[in-house]
Amino acid sequence: MSRAIELPIILRDVAEPSNPPADSLSDELLREQRQLTAVEEFARAESSGEMPAQAKYYRSLLPAAPPGPGQQYAFDVDLDRCSGCKACVTACHTLNGLDEHETWRDVGLLVGGTTSLPVLQHVTTACHHCVEPGCLEACPVNAYEKDQLTGIVKHLDDQCFGCQYCTLACPYDVPKYHAKKGIVRKCDMCSSRLAAGEAPACVQACPHEAIRIQVVDVEQAVEAAEADNFLPAAPDPQITLPTTTYRTRRVFPRNTLPADYYSVNPQHPHWPLVLMLVLTQLSVGAFLVALALEYALSVDLRDTWRAMHAPFALGCGLLALAASTLHLGRPHLAYRAILGIRHSWLSREIVAFGLFAALATTYCAAVSFPIDAIQPFRGPLAWSVAVVGVVAVFCSVMIYVATWRECWNFPRTALRFGLSMGLLGATASSFTLLLLSSVASSARIQALAAEAVPLTLRLLAVLAAAKLLWEASAFFHLSSRRMTAMKRSALLMAHPLSHMALARFALGLLGGIVLPLLVIINGGHSGTVEWIVMLGMLAGACVLGEILERYLFFAAAAAPRMPGGIR
Amino acid sequence: MTRVLDNLLPVLHTKDGPFTRELLQEPGKFGLGMLPAKSEPQATTQSVCGYCSTGCGLTLHLRNGEASGLTPTTDYPVNLGMACPKGWEALRVLQAEDRATSPLLRDGGRQPREISWDEAANTFVKRMRAIQQRHGPDSVAFISTGQMTTEEMAFLGAFAKFGMGTRHGDGNTRQCMATSVVAYKQAFGFDAPPYTYADFEESDVLVFIGSNPCLAHPIMWERVMRNPHDPKIVVIDPRMTETAMRADLHVAVRPKGDQVLLYGVARLLIENGWINQDFIEAHTHGFQKFVDFVQPYSLEHVEQETGITAHAVRRLAETIHQGERVSFWWTMGVNQSHQGVRTAQAIINLALMTGNIGRPGTGANSITGQCNAMGSRLFSNTTNLLGGHDFANSEHRRKVASILEMDEALIPRELGWPYHRIMEGILRGEIRGLWVICTNPAHSWINQHFAQDVLGRLDFLVVQDMYTTTETARMADLLLPAAGWGEKDGTFINSERRIGVIKKVTRAPGQALADFAIFRLLAHHWGCGDLFRRWTSPENVFQLLKELSRDQPCDFSGIADYGAIEAAGGIQWPYRDAEQDAGTERHLFSDGRFFHQDGKARFLFEEPRPLPEPASEEWPFTLLTGRGSASQWHTQTRTAKSDVLRKLYPEDPYVEVNPSDARELGILPGDLITVRSQRGVLEAKVHVASTMQPGQVFMPMHYDVTNRLTHPTFDPYSSQPAYKACAVRLEPHA
Repeated sequence: MSRAIELPIILRDVAEPSNPPADSLSDELLREQRQLTAVEEFARAESSGEMPAQAKYYRSLLPAAPPGPGQQYAFDVDLDRCSGCKACVTACHTLNGLDEHETWRDVGLLVGGTTSLPVLQHVTTACHHCVEPGCLEACPVNAYEKDQLTGIVKHLDDQCFGCQYCTLACPYDVPKYHAKKGIVRKCDMCSSRLAAGEAPACVQACPHEAIRIQVVDVEQAVEAAEADNFLPAAPDPQITLPTTTYRTRRVFPRNTLPADYYSVNPQHPHWPLVLMLVLTQLSVGAFLVALALEYALSVDLRDTWRAMHAPFALGCGLLALAASTLHLGRPHLAYRAILGIRHSWLSREIVAFGLFAALATTYCAAVSFPIDAIQPFRGPLAWSVAVVGVVAVFCSVMIYVATWRECWNFPRTALRFGLSMGLLGATASSFTLLLLSSVASSARIQALAAEAVPLTLRLLAVLAAAKLLWEASAFFHLSSRRMTAMKRSALLMAHPLSHMALARFALGLLGGIVLPLLVIINGGHSGTVEWIVMLGMLAGACVLGEILERYLFFAAAAAPRMPGGIR
Repeated sequence: MTRVLDNLLPVLHTKDGPFTRELLQEPGKFGLGMLPAKSEPQATTQSVCGYCSTGCGLTLHLRNGEASGLTPTTDYPVNLGMACPKGWEALRVLQAEDRATSPLLRDGGRQPREISWDEAANTFVKRMRAIQQRHGPDSVAFISTGQMTTEEMAFLGAFAKFGMGTRHGDGNTRQCMATSVVAYKQAFGFDAPPYTYADFEESDVLVFIGSNPCLAHPIMWERVMRNPHDPKIVVIDPRMTETAMRADLHVAVRPKGDQVLLYGVARLLIENGWINQDFIEAHTHGFQKFVDFVQPYSLEHVEQETGITAHAVRRLAETIHQGERVSFWWTMGVNQSHQGVRTAQAIINLALMTGNIGRPGTGANSITGQCNAMGSRLFSNTTNLLGGHDFANSEHRRKVASILEMDEALIPRELGWPYHRIMEGILRGEIRGLWVICTNPAHSWINQHFAQDVLGRLDFLVVQDMYTTTETARMADLLLPAAGWGEKDGTFINSERRIGVIKKVTRAPGQALADFAIFRLLAHHWGCGDLFRRWTSPENVFQLLKELSRDQPCDFSGIADYGAIEAAGGIQWPYRDAEQDAGTERHLFSDGRFFHQDGKARFLFEEPRPLPEPASEEWPFTLLTGRGSASQWHTQTRTAKSDVLRKLYPEDPYVEVNPSDARELGILPGDLITVRSQRGVLEAKVHVASTMQPGQVFMPMHYDVTNRLTHPTFDPYSSQPAYKACAVRLEPHA
């Protein structure tokens, strides 16, 4: 190897480094590193507070006049200019001072077409400031306001108590729950910027001027939604009447799909809601089955029966209400839930269950402490507990129906919750009867059990079989060629959630069918330890099975969303 | 009663409170508009962005003298108040848990231990010297970057070559624009991208070749979108990209079919007389030979080689002919090729023969990659002697030595090895000590397993980086903690030759030092402090660089200082004085004079060569790699540190496959499959889209696994690795 240059002279006196004390320089360098560029050298003089410099570029992206009557502000996205750089997302994040992980805007991707004419279209999206906002309708504490003048759907952060119902109700996945703060936050179209004549963060930061603010006639927005003239593969605009306009000169091919179309992701399971739903349905179901049983029992056993079942059913109900508050980000504001009674099914549910708890407590007192004065009201009281309970469960059903998700539509949800109620009620009755009859030797209780247990166990087995069949029928959607919402749910249960699904069906079979049949066939070995263990297993399997069923109800619910990116 | 209600109502329904106030905005000062009240700036200062070569101006918001946020600068001539996500998040990535905060020494395979800077510098000197004494001065080398300031590049290059006495050093710029450098040098006589961004707005035809500015240079695309002339846009790219979607004509050429296609277009232009004979005669050299050369590139031949129909080639030629101001733009699709230099020159030929150069809205324009690739091109002291000079030219050596007040004999008389030869040198035991600065070869070098194996063979690997967790830093014997963009001063030169200033607006963590300070410290410990006695601050070095540039095509000796650069909104070279070089947007060659002795540009061409690794029965797919999103930068050393940026791209590696290929292989969208080449294997999720042609698949380069597959072939002139095409197999999982 030839070498063209001489070694530098320095190399020759390695043995005797002529360095001055070295630490002085490294200390000096570290000191220098701490000193920042002198600000006064470069800092700009404060400007005289006129319009922001950027206004010259975004002025043309804002409407000339504010909305008049019957009009509102709306985002207008020119898809032919959206290149997918996603600067809007980061600008929104920065200029709104959001937390590190938090974003209010999102950019999805549509792909489709053929090899000779492929289509690739990024789509920037934020809140659509809908004419009939799902979030606002759903909110139990009126933490949403649709501004009278601008039509902007604004979230009142300090009013929010963190129930997250709006995150289920918005078809576009717009409100985002901020777990640390215990509230939801969302895009307000930078309303304070608009009020000052400035452009929203995304509008001023889009390098390609793809986003602008326009004034739309509300009628026009409704018409566009009705004509389904929104965006391919986006959720049905007829649900909330979004006002955003997506414009393009292109005709999207029929096969245009979001890049994340085939990806299925388990949703948030909302554990407190799972417990709350199962326990409230158990409680209401217990009262209903008990009431029905009264009519099948000999008259002299009825009082005994009432005093036996009521405390247990009430206990479950109260436990459910306690669980439900765990779901709130700010439970100390739970009292605000009354505000949304006129429009929010969640408000209604909370009020109905509150009433249910009060009535059930009164009823429980009435049957436990035989005070003569109350006795005439006992019958009507029992009926009102049952009726209010059913109404409350109906409210629960409607909470999910109102989200317009296919897997949560009325027949599906009502059947699920209704069967749960009956099944868990039968379980509660069976369990109470069998347990007491095996520990108490009173002849009256033995007689009661002999009469009632076959009925409740048969009811349990029938309802459990019906419910399991119904739930299993969801897997039929796997054969669907199209990626429907129901197929997504089935895929979720078949794949990422398969352990949960398997456990759910195993427990359902065990507690709802196998064990009840065993008890019916073998009769009583009442009093033995095995017997009590089996009873515990029966009840436990039924309740746990329903808890898992409800977990899947949330986790395997395909949520509508705007087109997403490659996942 | 009403009083009770009044008291009760706010409890029940409140519109104000701590959460509301948290997001409160206040009227902005400094012309910034409304900003979150909690981060309202007390002062602002200017800087340019430290990611890509666009060189956007960023306004840094200061609170108590330190940066608290940033917004893109409205009146900076590059970006007009815009930035891509990387720029918006530039400060965020400085705060990361894996920042290197102290020099780390690994002795004997154990966990590295923290040492002082003096121990680090002494170790560096002792170990490097020991290697040099045993194996010769050239047995140590450095691999640097396009991300440091020009002053730092110069310091590193001068210290390594004049101080340490090694001949070998190269940069990751070899991976991105070496091809353009050589193409320009040979064709124009100097490495001189001729354009200014205003050309994007002034063209009536823009031809993009192997370039996806929508994702790779979104702010350049901004300028295209602001073109008021309703321009025709042509995109030559095997893939349907975001940019191709906006094109009037997308020419989905076969991978590396571009050169044949361009020759075919040249033939057609000549055949139809759609050329500028006057310009050719006055300002070019070698046209007649080129005319003869392109004769065989008939429409049939082109179609056979590239898959592009005669009709499309004709449309392409017509579009170029009909344009008044045609500009040609290329990026990595051309540069990262086994024949990139000649392909780039095929583009230059088109511009020359149609006279589309030297006028507004024209040019054969290479869009560079990194924020200071252009600074590295002139001052890294690797591919040329400081300031675009020639190591072999004694006059040049004398000039440099006299400006730097040093012994001319210290300047090597020949070029050092390029990157791939350095890697090969390590393998052969010729190079034993390597100093890697501000780059991540264990991730980014082509054929990654080989690169990691090679780096593992070194006697001494020094890595100088901001983070301890890069693939290369984890292999280091000695890790030197560096301050990053925002934590140091200096200048960058962007793609349009604009010099911009960066500022130290936030404090580096722990003991981290600016690369400039590290070079000072090491030079001092090496014992050549005297050689660098004037190199005490970046701005002092800038004054030296000015002198070095004098009388070169890149002469910027007319710039007073950093303050002048900032006041002017960046200054493009050449800048000799305000009179000769007036204007904030200047392109080159207005007078038709190129930098060759005779003032003429050269037509350069060569028979195209086939793909080095074509698809075969066993390896039926051609893998293309490239940028995946505007939110990812290279090996993601920085961009992966921002929560927001991470939300903007797919977390896991994915491979884009044409639907017909997917069907044939029986793979479904979202499936995890194995992708294998002769060199490596990886797992990736399938993204099915007709944006890919059948037989071709695409993977973003940012994922740490992608380069396991790439095939190490290099352009013979530029030694740039050909990342863009290699043969792979897709294996569905059972």
